[in-house]
Amino acid sequence: MKRIISGLWDGKGFDIALVVVALGFLMIFAGLPLIYNVVMSFQKVDIFSLGTFARPFAGFDNYRAIFADPIFVPVMKNTVIFIVASIVGQFIIGFSLALFFTLDFPGSGYLRGLFLVSWVMPGLVVGAIWNWIFAGDFGVLNFALRELGLIGGNIFWRSDTNFSLWAVIIANIWLGTSFNMILLSVGLASIPRDLYEAAELDGANALQRFWTITLPMMRATIGAIIALGLIFTLQQFDLFAAITSGGPANSSNVAQYWAWELSFREYDFARGATISVLMIVLVMIASVVYVRSTRYEVRG
Amino acid sequence: MTLEWRNRVLVVIALGLAALYLFPLYWMYVTSLKTGSDIFATPPDFLPRDAKWGNYGYVWTSRGMASYMWNSIVIASGTTALTALLGTGCAYVLARYRNGWIDVALFLVLMLQVLPASLMITPIFVGFSQVGLLDTPRLAVILALTAKTMPFFVVLVRATFMSVPAELEEAALVDGNSRIGAFFSIALPLARNGILVSAILIFMQAFGEYVYSKSIIQSPTLQPASVGLNSFMGPNTFEWNNIMAYAAIYVTPILAVFVLLQRRIVAGLTSGALK
Repeated sequence: MKRIISGLWDGKGFDIALVVVALGFLMIFAGLPLIYNVVMSFQKVDIFSLGTFARPFAGFDNYRAIFADPIFVPVMKNTVIFIVASIVGQFIIGFSLALFFTLDFPGSGYLRGLFLVSWVMPGLVVGAIWNWIFAGDFGVLNFALRELGLIGGNIFWRSDTNFSLWAVIIANIWLGTSFNMILLSVGLASIPRDLYEAAELDGANALQRFWTITLPMMRATIGAIIALGLIFTLQQFDLFAAITSGGPANSSNVAQYWAWELSFREYDFARGATISVLMIVLVMIASVVYVRSTRYEVRG
Repeated sequence: MTLEWRNRVLVVIALGLAALYLFPLYWMYVTSLKTGSDIFATPPDFLPRDAKWGNYGYVWTSRGMASYMWNSIVIASGTTALTALLGTGCAYVLARYRNGWIDVALFLVLMLQVLPASLMITPIFVGFSQVGLLDTPRLAVILALTAKTMPFFVVLVRATFMSVPAELEEAALVDGNSRIGAFFSIALPLARNGILVSAILIFMQAFGEYVYSKSIIQSPTLQPASVGLNSFMGPNTFEWNNIMAYAAIYVTPILAVFVLLQRRIVAGLTSGALK
């Protein structure tokens, strides 16, 4: 006993205790729910069996019900569109901005950091502001597009089924671009300057330098950022709640919102858990890619 | 001279880009100062003429914002304190050792970091209701949220501890300090800034949290400002000036902290996410 106490005070025991307490907490509040999620997806759960662990076993019924649901295909299609469009948009704008800010000029560091404001704001506030920008008759976006001559009549971004998903995508691109840009800037800054100088001496123009130096040197960073983009996009919930609530007629519903709706609007926790399991598998795959591409950093 | 001109042109372009990017924020503040009829003017007025500061006071009392903001502060403070308390030591150990076990722990932490809250809330809600945690909804949110924020905190703070030389602690041990003493008197003070910045990031994140609070907290008197904002925005709302005033009150403290600590926040964020 004395040895344990002195070990806790003075040896490896102290370090082990620090890790065990933290990981124990994570296991209880993240690990257990994760397992419970899988268990529930194989159970019959309703509002009456909510209080007990011993619920009837349902086999793959929940999975079958999800795949057979008429909105399954549209929701998955929306999810893919949302993910791809968000990542592409955030990446292209973020990369362009990052490249621009590599041109050293006074205040470039400060101005670049200022962009990150979009990323620290509460998602609901971002959603509220874009709601107002998107407003049909009096929204400033429609006004700007009209003035530029791009549209004849007003677009009802939030209530038109052709545009509702894109409204959320635009807001999400705005939200995530700055984070992409900052991480890409870090990657760009780590490319040795003399590579560019050597290429310039050899007569390579800016475009050639970009294709033969910048892009190959950025491969690991870009891989990590795409994987992070996928992870963050699948985490995006607040903008859907604030801007469209998945509507109208599920035209902007995506998997992560649908899962929540099933659990907390229809109280069908089993089916909510089933979609969660499916999507979490997807996130896990993305994060393995992410961990692999940052492995060198992780191992120090 | 030419270099100077190049710089001037670039600064102007950069300011233009920043203005375009930050326009939504500007638009929030301008709208929040307009009257209920001015916001529907066509073309819209881009300057806050005759600012209606009364909107802020009106929204604060009519929407009962004091209670919402207080709950946001409670949830954010509780989450930050618990995260820092549990996460700092863990990050320290993960930074100090390198072996198979540490790799496994690190991998677990990274995997837990990516689980979407909207997908985890279903099992968390059901599990919490079974063990009775829903009777103390704010505590329930703090516990769930800490599990979500701690991996991120550990990754950031671990990067900080890695920059503190282990030799300093070894010297302290040689001088007769205990292991625990060396941690508290050497490692912790040296990593203070990194821990503080990471804690601020966690606070901001928890201050704006929505999914867990919306799902777990039923009573409006215990809900945070994010939930309050969402219930303010009905489908047919027209009070956009008041909604923007609400949003402005909610977000301004975060913006102020961000602008003050911008450099450190950006540096802390990038050191943890990837290098």
